[in-house]
Amino acid sequence: MTAAAAHSVVAAEGPPDPELIRIRDLIYQVAGIFHPDNKLRLLLDRCSRRMKELQALTLGEYFECLTTKPMRQTELIALLNEITIGETCFFRNQTQLDALRRIVLPKIIETKAKLPFRRLRMWSAGCSSGEEPYTLSLLMREESRRLKDWKIEILATDLNQRSLEEARTALYGSYSTRNLNPYFRQKYFTAAADGQLQLQPAVRDSVHFSRLNLSDDARMIFMKGLDIIFCCNVLIYFDLASKRRVIQHFYNNLLPHGYLFLGHSESLYGVNDDFRLVHLPRATAYVKGERTQAGKQAS
Amino acid sequence: MTADKKALLARIEGLDHIPTIPAVLSPLLRYLERPLEQLDVQRLTDMIAQDKSLAAQCLQMANSPLFGRWQKVDSLRSAVMGLGIQRVSDIAMSCGVLNITPRDGAGIDPVVFWEHSLGCALVCRQFARTISYPDPSKAYLAGLLHDLGIIVNLWTLPQEFRVAYEFARAEGIPLHEAEQAKLGFTHCDSGRLLADHWELSPDLRDVVSLHHTAPESRDNAGLVALVELSDLLCRMSGLNHGYTENRQISLLEQPSFEVLSQQCPELKDFDWARLTFELDSYMEEVQSLVRAIYRS
Repeated sequence: MTAAAAHSVVAAEGPPDPELIRIRDLIYQVAGIFHPDNKLRLLLDRCSRRMKELQALTLGEYFECLTTKPMRQTELIALLNEITIGETCFFRNQTQLDALRRIVLPKIIETKAKLPFRRLRMWSAGCSSGEEPYTLSLLMREESRRLKDWKIEILATDLNQRSLEEARTALYGSYSTRNLNPYFRQKYFTAAADGQLQLQPAVRDSVHFSRLNLSDDARMIFMKGLDIIFCCNVLIYFDLASKRRVIQHFYNNLLPHGYLFLGHSESLYGVNDDFRLVHLPRATAYVKGERTQAGKQAS
Repeated sequence: MTADKKALLARIEGLDHIPTIPAVLSPLLRYLERPLEQLDVQRLTDMIAQDKSLAAQCLQMANSPLFGRWQKVDSLRSAVMGLGIQRVSDIAMSCGVLNITPRDGAGIDPVVFWEHSLGCALVCRQFARTISYPDPSKAYLAGLLHDLGIIVNLWTLPQEFRVAYEFARAEGIPLHEAEQAKLGFTHCDSGRLLADHWELSPDLRDVVSLHHTAPESRDNAGLVALVELSDLLCRMSGLNHGYTENRQISLLEQPSFEVLSQQCPELKDFDWARLTFELDSYMEEVQSLVRAIYRS
């Protein structure tokens, strides 16, 4: 099927192209991100953009570009970039955040309530331009009654220095703030030039940004004592061995009751057996299960 | 059994409102108990065509991507030829169950229960295929019928059931727990009455009455466990009973997981995340299909 024909098939509501299913399965196997049937159209659109760029005429030919040609690694990253483009925004995954507020937070509060020093430590690993950690900060502010006398620490790291600088300015355009409801918009933002929104300094200062390469073992071991880690659409770029190492660090960095949240439709299947998938209302997360022998040796 | 529960169940049994099995479904169910190779296309289409409204609904459903059809089918015969006998039987059963759902659920939208049942049926089938469960079609039927007791409650005790439902919704707890607290029995108990009344096969009776306690099934624990796990997945997703349960579950820690693992060793290494994501894709289709059929 040609890129142009691919569009026409989608418009005609045709059955999924078997080559597209192969690409879907390849992405799931390599990157851990799954496109269910209702998202295949989106995947096809992303592939079509890359096919146009490469002048690949059919999905079969494009599959070859992703698997056998020398440029396969570069092309896979290019496709993953297309897939995750424009994903970052405030309140990106509302059902995940609802689950955090309704289920996860009360559980952690209950677990730590008897400790003399109450601290909630969260980490946004791969925070890009800051929308995710700032969203967490806004949510925690709204939970101030439940979290009275708690010290809240929100750490945010990224490999890209430029993204971090952007994050520190805390100035956002309409695309990043598209999911912000009027309540949050009015309470925590002020209007800035060119229709942008400036986040209040108090919220901005509540997040600690720093540059971190998740593959840097020497630094990863210092990210200790965490209650919650968010790592959304970051691991998809890692090869299996690196992914396993990062996940093992996450496992070690989390407290026993800790939670790991991944991106929407992102999975650890085949990557790690120590974490256990749990279902929350309309969301999933990973918690620390009983450690396997292999996991012990790797850590 | 407590006196209250006995009295309520007696009341259900005594009521004329207990749904009768739709005329077409009874022979259809019996016919479908035969081995697939003994089923005949003409006989099946004739059985469905007896009920014109059922036949129209079947066509509407047969044209949904949920049932794998991408080219328009405009007759029952072409649906059977294109989709196969098994699929069309599934569709006919699905429409039949829709037709016994009351149109007014005492302030509750009954459509959500049917959406849940159809969603659960699809998840059961997909789950069964993935773990090489021997009979995915039976799994579909079991998923479709597992909550028959809710339909009984909606017909026979609408006000009382509404109290239980509102309680479940407000507390974010499973419906059967709320029913137990407010009615003294659950839809598994009332479902059992209907399943007996309809003379469903023993495995389906177990599904209807034990789908929250699968290990209690003596002869059909595998099928019941498969439905219990699929039902849980649906209830934690958007294909729930019209509200989200406020809790965290680990499917691997469910007693039904252990039961099903014994029958399907592939379950030990099962990709739950992928099934969960796939379920998301059914949600929109199920909702739009159900609403289109229900309101037509």
